[in-house]
Amino acid sequence: MVERESPLGPAFEPGAFPNHAGDTGIRLSEATPAGIVEACAWPGMEQALRNAIGKATGLRVGAAANAAASNKDAAALCIGPSRYLVRSARRDLFERMQAEVAPETGTVTDLSHGRTCIRVEGNACEWMLSKLFAVDFHLTTFPADTGLATAHHDIFAQIHRSGEDRFEIFVFRSLARAFWRELREAAAETGYEVE
Amino acid sequence: MSPRRAAAGGTIDRSRPVGFTFDGVKMSGHEGDMLASALLANGVLLVGRSFKYHRPRGIFAAGADEPNALVTVLRDGIREPNIPATQIELHEGLRVESQNRFPSLDYDFGALAQLAGPLLSAGFYYKTFMGPVAGPLKGTRLWMFCERFIRRAAGLGRADHKPDPARYERMNAFCEVLVVGGGVAGLMAAEAAAKSGKRVILAEQEPRLGGMARWSGEEIGSKPAREWAEGLAARLARMDNVQVLSRTTVWGYYDGNTLAALERVGDHLPRRPGDMPRHRHWTIRAAKVILATGSIERPIVFPGNDRPGIMLAGAAMRYAAEYGVLPGEKIAIFTNNDSAYRAATVLKAAGASIAAIIDVRKEISTAAQALAGEAGVVPLLGHAVVGTSGKRLQRVILRRFDPQTGLVSGDSRPISADFLAVSGGWSPAIHLASQAGGKPRWDDFLQAFLPPVPQQDWSGAGALTGGMTTAAALKTGRSAGRAAAGQKPSRARLPQTEEPGLDPSPAPVLEIRAGGKAFVDFQHDVTADDVRLAHREGFVSVEHLKRYTTLGMATDQGRTSNVPGLAILAEARGISIPEAGTTRFRPPYSPVPIGALAAERHRHFKPDRLTPMHDWHLEHGARMMEAGLWHRPQIYGQAGETVEQAYVREAKAVREAVGIVDVSTLGKIAVKGPDAAEFLDRVYTNIFSTLKVGRARYGLMLREDGIALDDGTTWRLGEHDFLMTTTTANAGKVMQHLEYYLDLVWPELRVHLTSVTDQWAGAAVAGPRSRDVLEACISGTGIDDETLPFMGIVHGEIDGAPVMVCRLSFSGELAYEVYCGAGHGIHVWEALMEAGGPFGIAPYGMEALGALRIEKGHVTGAEIDGRTTARDLYLDWMLSKKKPFIGSALMDREGLIDKGRIRLVGIVSLDDRPLGGGAHIVEDSTSEGLGTSIGHITAFCYSPQLERYIGLALVKGGKARHGTRARVSDPLRDRFGPVEIVSHHFFDPEGKRMHG
Repeated sequence: MVERESPLGPAFEPGAFPNHAGDTGIRLSEATPAGIVEACAWPGMEQALRNAIGKATGLRVGAAANAAASNKDAAALCIGPSRYLVRSARRDLFERMQAEVAPETGTVTDLSHGRTCIRVEGNACEWMLSKLFAVDFHLTTFPADTGLATAHHDIFAQIHRSGEDRFEIFVFRSLARAFWRELREAAAETGYEVE
Repeated sequence: MSPRRAAAGGTIDRSRPVGFTFDGVKMSGHEGDMLASALLANGVLLVGRSFKYHRPRGIFAAGADEPNALVTVLRDGIREPNIPATQIELHEGLRVESQNRFPSLDYDFGALAQLAGPLLSAGFYYKTFMGPVAGPLKGTRLWMFCERFIRRAAGLGRADHKPDPARYERMNAFCEVLVVGGGVAGLMAAEAAAKSGKRVILAEQEPRLGGMARWSGEEIGSKPAREWAEGLAARLARMDNVQVLSRTTVWGYYDGNTLAALERVGDHLPRRPGDMPRHRHWTIRAAKVILATGSIERPIVFPGNDRPGIMLAGAAMRYAAEYGVLPGEKIAIFTNNDSAYRAATVLKAAGASIAAIIDVRKEISTAAQALAGEAGVVPLLGHAVVGTSGKRLQRVILRRFDPQTGLVSGDSRPISADFLAVSGGWSPAIHLASQAGGKPRWDDFLQAFLPPVPQQDWSGAGALTGGMTTAAALKTGRSAGRAAAGQKPSRARLPQTEEPGLDPSPAPVLEIRAGGKAFVDFQHDVTADDVRLAHREGFVSVEHLKRYTTLGMATDQGRTSNVPGLAILAEARGISIPEAGTTRFRPPYSPVPIGALAAERHRHFKPDRLTPMHDWHLEHGARMMEAGLWHRPQIYGQAGETVEQAYVREAKAVREAVGIVDVSTLGKIAVKGPDAAEFLDRVYTNIFSTLKVGRARYGLMLREDGIALDDGTTWRLGEHDFLMTTTTANAGKVMQHLEYYLDLVWPELRVHLTSVTDQWAGAAVAGPRSRDVLEACISGTGIDDETLPFMGIVHGEIDGAPVMVCRLSFSGELAYEVYCGAGHGIHVWEALMEAGGPFGIAPYGMEALGALRIEKGHVTGAEIDGRTTARDLYLDWMLSKKKPFIGSALMDREGLIDKGRIRLVGIVSLDDRPLGGGAHIVEDSTSEGLGTSIGHITAFCYSPQLERYIGLALVKGGKARHGTRARVSDPLRDRFGPVEIVSHHFFDPEGKRMHG
């Protein structure tokens, strides 16, 4: 199987980039999983879709807006009414989801090449992300395992808080390099590492 | 005498000297100094020249209200003008220059403007440069003559044209309670809210919190007020739910409790690390806001009031108490209220002698009398300053004054003094409160405007609300903080204060009319007579007055001049100040650098959007061009080639052998669901429900008004699964259009849309050898004419990567669009290049792509320009008569089927010179080449096949003009010449090559 090539290209430079005080409060990495799909339910079929996601990935996604769920291999994030972004370490996610989502339930679209996932971790990640997004990242309003869809200027972003100090941000692949550079710029003040 | 550093006192660190230069002269201050205090400590009284008359001016205030002492900061090779010296923290190596002077601050040619003072009154420009053109130098002609000189002389500091190397950042913040102002009231409010567990942001424009507590000399809770404030500030800083932002000016209050603030992160550091922003712009969204913005002292207007050595009394007190600076040795005080008496005692304690306290009032409070005694003087009640003298203040002239009538009387009486501290009372700093909406309310007792009744979710505390004592600040601060946190008022005892019981009510005297130039607005050189002149000339509204005289404009926004100016206008009109009203306060409260507003956006308004093959293009010599956000190859130039030579070579390769072009940028939308075909029938002008699985069809969309919206092919990948392609430019617009219809017009249709533009990398392989190239590298499918007919789709693999191939053509040649997962884009592209090597494959860019499509007469966004219809473009064959579709109801309107509409044609340059996009086509041109336009050129190129310069155009009559001649008229580019109007199908009109 041909390996998928990262869109970050020469902008991806592994290493530590501490700030003037020698700190690295942020860790940046590309975390695009093998499989990414968008799954949408027809009106009234939302629960059936969540069940199908559960069967394909083992995830139990809540019904609330901005709900998210994750396990060792997969995660799902509600990105709109009746609409979920599902990701998995398995390459066959699309096929598995297609098998589970009946036509009368909804549709599944493969986005494994179309979205890039960038992981932002560290104790300064709320501070850094607040530079880019008009989003309240405080834990009380944006708790772990929730998400939202927003934008940074022209860059549409779907953000999943997968831990207290960890976010996964999905952007269009074509804009990933620009966004990556933007993240590095924003992280310069706190210092960062690239893994 | 000059001002100097007092022997003791202040909160500066006298053990840490700080070197700086002013106009190239080396000076020294101390850690904790502001530039203004350091200049005074170095004996500098003359700091700047005024805007209009170039009058010598000194430091007048001690904060953001400073109108005079604007300087240019030189740092990192950049000049930043018009920064108040009162807001610049001293740091080692600070370099500043005075401004608006030539050749030097002491000897300024511009001061000659004072001779023309009587001419330069309010409205000078309007009166002088308007009117009929009656002579060689009248009215507008005179303006045109004088403009260059006036523009050169205008302004204060000179900005730089060099790029600013500093780093600016933006921050979005959310909180439950935002407290603006870190004085006593703000600190109390923040603590009360934070103790309730609320998320609090406390913003203070000064470097240190505490406000007047830092220099008032009072006591709070049996401690010096400064110590009390510092302790509370430290406790707040340690609380997890409190964010303290010092050096942060909240400058704008917008709807929805959204406030804008500027944090000066690194201006105070001698060396700012490269990763540290100079400024950070904050957008703060607060559930509740507490404004504790304090009050601003205002002056009294009197003749000679702008001389260096005259300062607000509160500022003089602050320089002495906080910075240990004596602004003069022999100090006179001129006041209409009690607060200046405190200044007298502080200045006296710092080592000055108080020459006199001149008070317009006939009676003063007991507390003020006691303070006068402490200062060692008997106040001269019922007196006013009517003049001053000395290049640097040497004397103040007094006369008796009746506060009831406003008249002076008696003989003049000079008093020797080298410094005059003035106080006209205090105005609550209502700027943000006013920005939040509502009309300020006049308070007779304070002779000041109070904030309006809140229109948004804010409350006030401290001096802003009219409580001018520290005890009031403690009380209102705590109440506001608890209320913002949803708590009931506390009955707990507040810290005790030790402060003089001064009368906060000033006499209603803001001007002494005694003849001579009396300045109201120092920054814009607006005098009291200018205000009266404006009134006589009919500018009776305060808003008109402001614009006619420029009173209250510029960097200080009239903080010291607004109320005196209003008082003079009101007196001239014979009305009260509240009847005259006040101007509406607007953001920003104080200047905000453009860099801070732009922040990182200066590059990322337009993020770079890259195709999967971007790096390959760069490595192979592509010259890139921007198409919207996308970066696309323009040409793959070879050494010595012009752009035209390059694209002609590339286009020839396509026509003669095979070429490959990156088409990943085409918009791609997955249209899925059982009603997908029905949906497409409704949005396209032609039918898609009959399209077979594994086939594609060219489609055209109209807007609701019948105008063409976009075109592209849509591929049926499954019974309920379509892949729609759009033009690169319209991908987002089409997606929104479709989502609108699905969500709002046809919610009953079971269709889902997903943008998959980025899922697929696309390469168009075009040319007579394109099939050979694909045959050499594809597996898992045949691509012969039977397996893959025109507009057919097959799936296979290229070098192990899954691909989807559709046979369609934009170039007019036998061509295939090869789609693969974007992450495999370069892999498949390189495999195609390798397979095409034996067939002479050449990558081609946008220019060749354009030339090929022009030769074929294919339309793009240049022709589908939001004004043309399907018929204009001869696409009426795509308008189905069997079904309705978006736009079908309105596409046959009279105006849209008019025979005089411009329609698509081809044009050929008859003088063998290039054409230009947008150039007009004219019929009967004049000798100058102009004429009546019959249309315009939409696209042009040199055609390798025709070996002529050709173009597409939209011309009245369209086909009816085929074979006729006209002229191109392009005066902007000086391009005129004959053209022939022909069919837009220049090349292979039957389409034999792409079907071959």
